[in-house]
Amino acid sequence: MLGEFEQLVLMAVMQAGEGAYGIPIHAELRHRTGRDPSLASVYKTLERLEHKGFLAVRLGPPTPERGGRRKQIYTVTNAGKKELRGALAAIRRMAAGLDVGLEPS
Amino acid sequence: MSSSASAPPRWAIAVGEALIDRRVREPVLGDLIEAFHAERLPGLGASGARRWFWLQVLIAVVRFPVRPSFSLPEGAFMTGFLDDLTGAMRTMRRAPTFTLLCAVTLGLGIGAATAIFSVADPVIIRPLPYESPDRVYVVWQNDPDAGRDNLGFLTFADLTAGSTSFQSTAAVGTWGPVLTRDGRAEQLNGLRVSWTYFRTLGVRPALGGDFAHDDDAPSRNSVVILSHALWRSRFGGDSAVVGGFTTINGVQMRVAGVMPADYDDVLAPGAQIWRVLGYDGTLPYACRDCQHLRMIARLKAGVAESSALQEANGISARLVHDYPKSYPAAGFQMVGLQDEATRTVRPALGVLLAGVALLLLIATVNVSSLQFARALQRDEEFAVRAALGAGGGRLVRLLLAEGLVLALAAGVVALGIAQLGLDVLISRLPSSIPRLAAVHLDPRAFGLAALVTIVAGTAVGLTPAWHARRRGLAFSLRGSRRVTGARHRVRGVLVVSEVAVAVVLLAGAGLLARSFLTLLAVNPGFEVARVATAQVQVSGPRYPDSTSVFAWQDRLLAAAEGVPGAQSAALVSQLPLGGNMDGYGVQALDKPLDNPELAPSADRYTVSTGFLKTMGVPLLEGRDFEAADNAVAAAPVAIVSQALARRIWGGESPIGKRVHAGETTRPWYTVVGMAGDVHHRGLDNAETMQLYAPTRRWFFQDQQVDVVVRTAGDPARILPALRRAVLEPDPQAVVTRLATMADVRAQSTAQRSLVLTLFAVFATVALLLAAAGLFGALAGVVVERRREIGLRSALGATPRDIVEMVARQGLVLTGGGVVMGLITTLAGAGIIRAMLFGVGPRDFMTIVGVAFVIGFAAVAASVVPAWRALRVDPIATLRAD
Repeated sequence: MLGEFEQLVLMAVMQAGEGAYGIPIHAELRHRTGRDPSLASVYKTLERLEHKGFLAVRLGPPTPERGGRRKQIYTVTNAGKKELRGALAAIRRMAAGLDVGLEPS
Repeated sequence: MSSSASAPPRWAIAVGEALIDRRVREPVLGDLIEAFHAERLPGLGASGARRWFWLQVLIAVVRFPVRPSFSLPEGAFMTGFLDDLTGAMRTMRRAPTFTLLCAVTLGLGIGAATAIFSVADPVIIRPLPYESPDRVYVVWQNDPDAGRDNLGFLTFADLTAGSTSFQSTAAVGTWGPVLTRDGRAEQLNGLRVSWTYFRTLGVRPALGGDFAHDDDAPSRNSVVILSHALWRSRFGGDSAVVGGFTTINGVQMRVAGVMPADYDDVLAPGAQIWRVLGYDGTLPYACRDCQHLRMIARLKAGVAESSALQEANGISARLVHDYPKSYPAAGFQMVGLQDEATRTVRPALGVLLAGVALLLLIATVNVSSLQFARALQRDEEFAVRAALGAGGGRLVRLLLAEGLVLALAAGVVALGIAQLGLDVLISRLPSSIPRLAAVHLDPRAFGLAALVTIVAGTAVGLTPAWHARRRGLAFSLRGSRRVTGARHRVRGVLVVSEVAVAVVLLAGAGLLARSFLTLLAVNPGFEVARVATAQVQVSGPRYPDSTSVFAWQDRLLAAAEGVPGAQSAALVSQLPLGGNMDGYGVQALDKPLDNPELAPSADRYTVSTGFLKTMGVPLLEGRDFEAADNAVAAAPVAIVSQALARRIWGGESPIGKRVHAGETTRPWYTVVGMAGDVHHRGLDNAETMQLYAPTRRWFFQDQQVDVVVRTAGDPARILPALRRAVLEPDPQAVVTRLATMADVRAQSTAQRSLVLTLFAVFATVALLLAAAGLFGALAGVVVERRREIGLRSALGATPRDIVEMVARQGLVLTGGGVVMGLITTLAGAGIIRAMLFGVGPRDFMTIVGVAFVIGFAAVAASVVPAWRALRVDPIATLRAD
């Protein structure tokens, strides 16, 4: 079962594409939802998703613009994709026929 | 700071590094730094971006707090005091040297203070455990030199009968009886007392009854009361003993009662037995000028000391008028019982209390400065805690928790030191100190000392945290180095006070050491080396007359002369420096006195022939005693000391003059020789006067004598053989002292030596702590001023300039401390004066010596910081930051 913010973060990881790490993930969330969560809150959720087995984590190379610190790179696992599919399907079913001012996708 | 405005705040990164948990620390900080440059700086501007960065770091700290190695459940980060304690222990484990240093320093101060206070409290501070002890006084008779003297029995009786101020009074005489029980003889420490004695003190026997009025008469005075300790050790704690009879001095005496276990007689510390006095005016030794009794009196409730004394002096005036030849001076003196009982130890304990208070002070200052230095290092930590919503109370709680943990550690050290110190003190303090039995490790003293130091240490440690909070987060985080001015002041004050305390303690130790050396250099008037001594006592019905005593003495002397290694031996009635005070007024036939009480008092040395040679007392004029002088029928001859001869005859030769001692009815002695003066009462007392007479020509026989033996080698080696030899003539005799003359001399200076040793220890510790404080301060200065030092080197300052800069700092701090310490020493001179001998409390040599030692310590403490300053690399320091 995914919480709403968890769904958003999981999708942000997918949107950020190959080599997704903190900044692009955070940027996707910011640009697509208009929210500006703290980086730590995002990491908290990423950690939770990792524990649930929906994200895979590896360390990237250190870069100078990061003060020589390495990135933590996230990939959505198959289990994550399946869970997300289920959650989005439920939402779609729940929203079917409702007029809340959104175009049907 | 303009150059770093476009960079993320350095301190925030440091905080993040320190406090964000390891699992996300690197990616989170990396992301924040990247985002700071790529997104926030263009969007928010420099200060907005920095604020944002700080906020993000702090939130990360809250969401991912660094986890202790032994993991606490998440979310319970430092919420309760218990967590504070765990955290404090963790903090301390992270700095083991610091913690150990604090704990040992504090433990030393607290432990030493507890030990000394535990002794001083029952002895000189707490009131005696008697009923209304403040109403009990010791009454003395004035002597012509503004001194004081014991009373004769008739004076005691007249004062008791004439005064209306006293509820009750008692006369007290010394008594050293021999108890024979189960075939074993033992000499006891006891008193002869009026039947009213215990009532006057305000104590009662625990078992049996007190002395009764009827016991106190010459024919019925064989009644004793036992101490609890004696009853337990020699009577097996058998209550059937009470009311029964026991053999004392070979006579059957009735045991009336047993005193309580906690009763300690302050007039005779360690007393084991009391016998009723049983005098009346008809006895020859109960006369007016047979002054061998002390008097105690209990004032009636509501009567002032001054009015009681006034009344007593009225009675004295009448007595002097009626018996002008029996009193050397008019008037009495009244001294509170406790003051009287502690008169000889109060200066020593007072000095030790002052010394240990200073030690405690320096330990507190030292720990405070350690805490202060550490608190400065933790400035950022406090700021972050404050930023995270920790209120002032919360920070206080955290530091209190650390103080408490430190107190526990120090407490363990302190308890060990206190117990050890107390054991050493009790074993080395003279047993003549009253109430020594009541000395135990005092938990109140311990608690108070611990509380004071911990509170002081925590309070000082708290100040930086307090400032950090008041200044506000941003200021503190931006750079606490701005507050170095205040920091220098605080640290300077701490170092200066440490040096000052060390100066005071060193000056005290120096004065005591000089006194002790001066004392040891005093010529006692006899040879100390190569003399062994044994004090032996016989008693009982086997010695009914002088013939039997003389026969024993002759056998004793022969036995002592036969000890292997003995060159010569002699008997004497009392040893110089041995603690006996047996004196007689000496009058000359050709210098008659109107009032015989004004005759000079001389120590009575009743001796066998050969005493002067054996002891190495020089014969200045005339001849020594010969064998023929020591015969019962011989013409009485005497030897006088030089001081006695001068006092009586001025410059005239004493040879051939005639003198007598004590009562006018006694025979006249012809003076045949003059001997050198001997220090009888102590090396720190002036030489006293002596009168020597042959044992067989004195008017009574001593059943207790000192055997002195001159040896070829080390006198300590013959002591076992000497003990066996002196028991040969009478196996039931009691050996009451077996020592070399050097031991006897050491015993007479034992109290001084103990105070000196303790003071030397205090001063050494203080010196080390002060040097450590100075070292810390200078090392801190070098670290803080590294950039300045580097800059100066770069601009051409020579190594000499750099060293001078460090040395100047050290000199200012040391100089301030020395000045303050010397002022304190000079002002507090009165406290130590009573313990000094042959040196003034403001002795110039000592002050110079102290300044030299402190100067040396200061140089030693400056060497390493100066060397570090020299090694500062100008390029490296200028490039950094």
